[in-house]
Amino acid sequence: MFSKNPLRKRQRIGSIIGITIGIIIYIVLPLKQTEDFLSLGPLNTGHEGLSCNACHTDAKGNLMQQLQSNIAYTFGMRKTKADFGTENVDNKKCLECHDRPNDRHPTHRFLEPRFKEAIANINATECETCHREHNDTRIVLKNAAFCVNCHYDLEVKNDPIDTPHEELIANKQWNTCLQCHDFHGNHIYKVAEKMKDTIPLEKIQEYLKGGVDPFSNKKKHQPLSEEEWLKMKKKYSVK
Amino acid sequence: MNHLKAKGIFLLLVTGYSVILQSCGGVPEEMASNESSDKVLAVADVLTLVSEENDITRTLYTKGIVGAGKKQGLKFDEDWQDDEVEAGPLPALFLRGISSDIRKSDVPLGLYLGSDFPINASNKFQGKQAELFAKIKTDQKPQHFYEEDQKLYTSMFADLAVAAPCVNCHNDHKSTTKTDWKLGDVMGATTWQYPSDSLSYKEAIGVINAYRNGTKAIYNAYLEEIAAFKNDSTKPQIGNKWPSKGFYLPTAEVFIDSVRKLASYHSLEKLLLADNKKTTKTKDLASN
Repeated sequence: MFSKNPLRKRQRIGSIIGITIGIIIYIVLPLKQTEDFLSLGPLNTGHEGLSCNACHTDAKGNLMQQLQSNIAYTFGMRKTKADFGTENVDNKKCLECHDRPNDRHPTHRFLEPRFKEAIANINATECETCHREHNDTRIVLKNAAFCVNCHYDLEVKNDPIDTPHEELIANKQWNTCLQCHDFHGNHIYKVAEKMKDTIPLEKIQEYLKGGVDPFSNKKKHQPLSEEEWLKMKKKYSVK
Repeated sequence: MNHLKAKGIFLLLVTGYSVILQSCGGVPEEMASNESSDKVLAVADVLTLVSEENDITRTLYTKGIVGAGKKQGLKFDEDWQDDEVEAGPLPALFLRGISSDIRKSDVPLGLYLGSDFPINASNKFQGKQAELFAKIKTDQKPQHFYEEDQKLYTSMFADLAVAAPCVNCHNDHKSTTKTDWKLGDVMGATTWQYPSDSLSYKEAIGVINAYRNGTKAIYNAYLEEIAAFKNDSTKPQIGNKWPSKGFYLPTAEVFIDSVRKLASYHSLEKLLLADNKKTTKTKDLASN
């Protein structure tokens, strides 16, 4: 009754090729071996060897639910967006492994209104301002003179160092701070009392780029390894 | 004809898909309460309530642990967490410990301590906080405002020199910026922040619990620090007794229980009062 459209065969071949490519992508891309291919760039110092899903954990709900939630959000039917695919990587995620009681500059400290101007210059409320991932480095800032943003009017009583802090500040030598002070305060080391004994600036810069740790190899607290984190997650996961 | 049939199938599929999409349910929203009618407590009232719990906790810690403990030979230091320092947290650091623990919880409550003459320069008020603190110093009344940039409801409460250890330690401290503090002075202010203008009971209880859990966490951190003291003779006996009775320290449970006994009655009354207000308001609306 109806003659077959001659294009039908081409359509079928096209569909088969498309579906095959789709299936291959669906199977191959989630494999561990393809992580490097999917990654935005090499992981930062200390994170080498971590799996993607150590940070990019699965978002809540299935694909359909996530889709529905975001459509509802677009049309104003719910107040918050839902993560799609994987969860957003934020401070909370970093702190699951890196949280410790003695952080000298924890991110939450800077949420206070008094740091408003300082965080307009450098958003210290977010880990990734300095430690943006996938950059093959330790910190991404070009210049590590950030201390000035809060400590610009520092006055040190009973100054222990031979070149007084007053002089360093007057000369705007803000990149010398890290030669004595470890920002997060987790290293166990003795602070020099003479400027010549402090850690040379080049070594600090090398360290910030991911090089050898010049402060000390002893730390007060170690972050969790991926295995330890998984164990903790399993132990405290809500069932 | 065929064209119409295809169109029909297409429309049926789209409708079917929409129905499935709607009926399978989305990802639940992580909100304690979405109903505005549940929000019976004004943020300023909840922050006042938790600030009063904080006053009780800090006074108990300052007088009962630091003040009495010092007389028994216990030491307190700002570098209490350093390995070579065998000491406990000073009251200001005890509060910072509570604040850190609250931040680790899911409750979006912020707590900070500041002053115009702080020992640590990073705790000096600036900008709007400094202006409001000047007012607090004169009338000791709390200041409630909306922090536009952060979009947070903010309350500041006077932090008074309630005990001799506050005055003595601050006057004698090697880094002090003021040496003539006296009892009753407004030594600083606590700043509290929360992201919404009103809270449900569940959220308010979440705030109180976050604060109390923070107290427990920092007190336990202090006990852990003591356990790591190298010299056994510097370790007080930890149990039911307080330093006023000798070389003792209460356990975290005993300490928190004392806070509860002093704070819970007042907190519960305040929570119930909000419900009464709501009932009166509903009755008024009904009669109109």
